[in-house]
Amino acid sequence: MEITQETVASAVNSVASVRGRGTLPNMMAFARALKQLGVKVSLSQVIDAARSADLVDIAEKQDFRALLRSNMILQKEDFPVFDMVFDCFWREQSYERVPMETLEIQGTPSESGAEEGGDEEGLEEAVAEAAAKENVPLENLEEFSIPTYSPQELLNCKDFSEMGVEESRAIARAILLIATKIATQISRRKKIGRKGSTVDPRWTMRRSMKYGGEIVELVQRKRRIKKTKVVLLCDVSGSMDCYSRFLIQFMYGLQNELWGVETFVFSTSLSRITHLIRTKDIGNALEKISGSILGWSGGTNIGRSLHTFNRSFAPSMVTHRSVVVIISDGWDRGDVSLLEREMQDLKRRCKKIIWLNPLLASDNYEPLCKGMQAALPYLDLFLSVHNVNSLVALGRTLQKMVA
Amino acid sequence: MNPKQLTIEKVQEILRREQYVCDRALATVVYLSLVMGKPLLLEGEAGVGKTEIAKVLAKVLDAKLIRLQCYEGLDANTALYEWNYPKQMLRIKLEEVEHGDKQKVETEIFTQDYLIKRPLLEAIQSDGTNPPVLLIDEIDRADMEFEAFLLEVLSDFQITIPEIGTISAKHRPYVFLTSNRTREIHDALKRRCLYHWIEYPTFEKEYEIITTKFPQAEANMAKQICAFMQRVREMNFYKRPGVAETLDWASALIALNRKGLDDKTVVETMGCVFKYREDLHHLKEQIDGKQLNLEALLRVSPEMVS
Repeated sequence: MEITQETVASAVNSVASVRGRGTLPNMMAFARALKQLGVKVSLSQVIDAARSADLVDIAEKQDFRALLRSNMILQKEDFPVFDMVFDCFWREQSYERVPMETLEIQGTPSESGAEEGGDEEGLEEAVAEAAAKENVPLENLEEFSIPTYSPQELLNCKDFSEMGVEESRAIARAILLIATKIATQISRRKKIGRKGSTVDPRWTMRRSMKYGGEIVELVQRKRRIKKTKVVLLCDVSGSMDCYSRFLIQFMYGLQNELWGVETFVFSTSLSRITHLIRTKDIGNALEKISGSILGWSGGTNIGRSLHTFNRSFAPSMVTHRSVVVIISDGWDRGDVSLLEREMQDLKRRCKKIIWLNPLLASDNYEPLCKGMQAALPYLDLFLSVHNVNSLVALGRTLQKMVA
Repeated sequence: MNPKQLTIEKVQEILRREQYVCDRALATVVYLSLVMGKPLLLEGEAGVGKTEIAKVLAKVLDAKLIRLQCYEGLDANTALYEWNYPKQMLRIKLEEVEHGDKQKVETEIFTQDYLIKRPLLEAIQSDGTNPPVLLIDEIDRADMEFEAFLLEVLSDFQITIPEIGTISAKHRPYVFLTSNRTREIHDALKRRCLYHWIEYPTFEKEYEIITTKFPQAEANMAKQICAFMQRVREMNFYKRPGVAETLDWASALIALNRKGLDDKTVVETMGCVFKYREDLHHLKEQIDGKQLNLEALLRVSPEMVS
């Protein structure tokens, strides 16, 4: 969602009815305005903020801002939204003129009980009461629930390229869910591995020989599962246009959930975007990426991109435990022999190369284009990614390799 | 020092006494964290002084600093506690020889005497007159699972050991977490903390940092360093230099007895600022290719001193 002065103003206006006298109702209204603009604030954070309000001089606007911000905001990406809402919200309350009146925490007792403040129970009660007063169920004050999407079954089989904007949002959510699922399953497996550390009786006995048979040192046996690293190389040239958005979303989801995923995009040249999609705000990230990358939607030079990768990044990022995933349709306008050489080089370095081709799903597709043919001998897996189901399949494959 | 007597100004002042320059927003958050007893999560680029503030605070609060450096694979055994197996074994052997009471041994080897305290348990059990400062450094390096251990510790300040029971903190430690954002921290953990993002310092703040740390530095040179840093951070380098690099560079220049910066000096000492070959290469190329004018980089422009 785009945040403008207008959307902020309308969000602030819409919570005007919930605002009352006293710190807590105001803070709750403030938190709700934030939520409407997509910033999650939990009830406990609001309570903490209200509780700490008497610790600073709230007439000092900058201090008050820092207080609210540190309590309610969890990532720096939300700072700009916060600042806009803050300025709009507390200005309207004529902050400068009568700060103490509107923000008084220990005011005279009133029928609403919201000003009770101070001890914990009082606050919790006040929250409940303030909520009841406005006929808002308490659950609504908790985090915004994620809207569920029903026609997902349908979408699962639909080709990405045929999707409109509405569907793409739904699909983005689905992709994130899948990526999260893959990642959590992996981490659970790792955990069992680590918990499997037990005493190794054989080595314990053997070590005890030097102490004359006395057991002094215990030797532990650990099932150390070395984690595989995943490197994603995604083609964002013109021919991949209708797919790349989704794929980046998938990369984003995977990278945010898995440890040690490196992400690159390439068209005529290669760019590392790991740091760009590290944020939680995917919409912004996408914009940043397309803004900062040369040759987005341009031509393709896979060979040269791979060359850059092998020379500059592979030495530090790719080991014999890495899985390299290349997402491209293989339409290459560059030098095919260079592509082949670089594929060979890459193959030597890493554990597995997976090539994902969105065109593979169409019935009459054969990997005839020269680029694809050159790369084919060096691939461990050649899969399709064109709809959600194929992503699920990819997820499973990766999971087996990574765990 | 009792945090109850602190104010925001006082926090700023005592930090400055230990040569840590911090802006009002950071001071406010630190103050809140100390008074509310809520952990503080500090994020920011590498080298902006996230770890340093915890160290300095421990010093000014006259508290013990307990540091837990996170790394991939950090587990409960190294972060919370571990049983002292060799000691337990010896005790069993000893009782074997002396035909001791079996029951008694069984209960005794699972007491605190046989427990090795790791940083988190140490922070909770600290006996000193002042609560300790617990620094959980680079939490993003630890695995996701590790964050789960922290939840109990950071919300209730207690640790449950199955054989002994639940150990609660005598004094709530002051907790500081830092993250470089190599991955996202889970919201559940974040929600238990106050959050602050430390930006790269402004020109004025950076100048203040240099002159506070190195009073002997020439004012002109300090300004040149700051101007250079401000501009370089806006350029496309793989690793943008932080305050740590600024201080390194300043101290190097002082050691070299330089009073001001010129092209030659900058190129010679660039190793203090850029730690990647690619970045050094990039800078050198730009200078040689005349795309970059060092003199302009070092000049203090009026918009910096706002």
